[in-house]
Amino acid sequence: MLLGLGAAWLIMFIYVILITLRERKLRKELDRVRRMVEHPNK
Amino acid sequence: MREKIIIALAIFAAGLLAWNMNTVFTGLPDELNQGAIYRIIYFHVPANILGMLGFGLGMFLSIGYLVTKDLRYDALAASVTEVALVYASIGLATGSIWARIIWGVWWAWDVRLTSWLVCWLIFGGYLMLRRAVDEPNQRARFAAVVSVLGSVNAYISYKSIEWWNTQHPQPVLSIRNGGGMAAGMESPIYWNLLALACFSVILVMVRMRQESFAREIDTLRRMAHAQ
Repeated sequence: MLLGLGAAWLIMFIYVILITLRERKLRKELDRVRRMVEHPNK
Repeated sequence: MREKIIIALAIFAAGLLAWNMNTVFTGLPDELNQGAIYRIIYFHVPANILGMLGFGLGMFLSIGYLVTKDLRYDALAASVTEVALVYASIGLATGSIWARIIWGVWWAWDVRLTSWLVCWLIFGGYLMLRRAVDEPNQRARFAAVVSVLGSVNAYISYKSIEWWNTQHPQPVLSIRNGGGMAAGMESPIYWNLLALACFSVILVMVRMRQESFAREIDTLRRMAHAQ
């Protein structure tokens, strides 16, 4: 039973980690592209 | 405002889940034939219900995109479908662990399990397809078609335990005319459903924010290339 509950929480935990990492990557990329548009010659 | 809603929902869902888990583990007796393992149902059933509802909602949002060509429908459909796939994964994993204890095997190729696995694969393919196509409208159109096909399969999977004799148990919830659970054992399923539904709303809200970041990045890149 604990294995079942552990598996459920593990899947949820992995997904939360993945979307957190994706958010961080998107924010970095957004900053980079914004700088690229604001200062095109740099 | 969005952050406050997310925090409020998270506190409510975590509190409800903690209270309900306490009821499930300390307030309910073991099931007569299955023993303690039957408690997996309190995650297995809500997770699968949310998976099926999410795929269905994703289909309607995809149809919304096909009718209006509004990419916001597509963004919401992608977010809802991705979260639904996480819940479907939880449903498959918990079901497999339950089957190992009760049936003695991790997996059986019966209609319910197989159709649900096919559904999981279709929506896994849906997410891979979205990564493979760059042009937003083309991506949304292809994804919408896959979503509709996958949701038809999800409905077949939902009805399979009524249409065919399956190794998977028949409906147990009274709302599905099951009536296979003792009094007091059924209501925690609905409380867990509510708690997990709140978590799914939070996840969809976070995913929607990411979709808007991705759209903004795409727009800025086009501007940069035009300069």
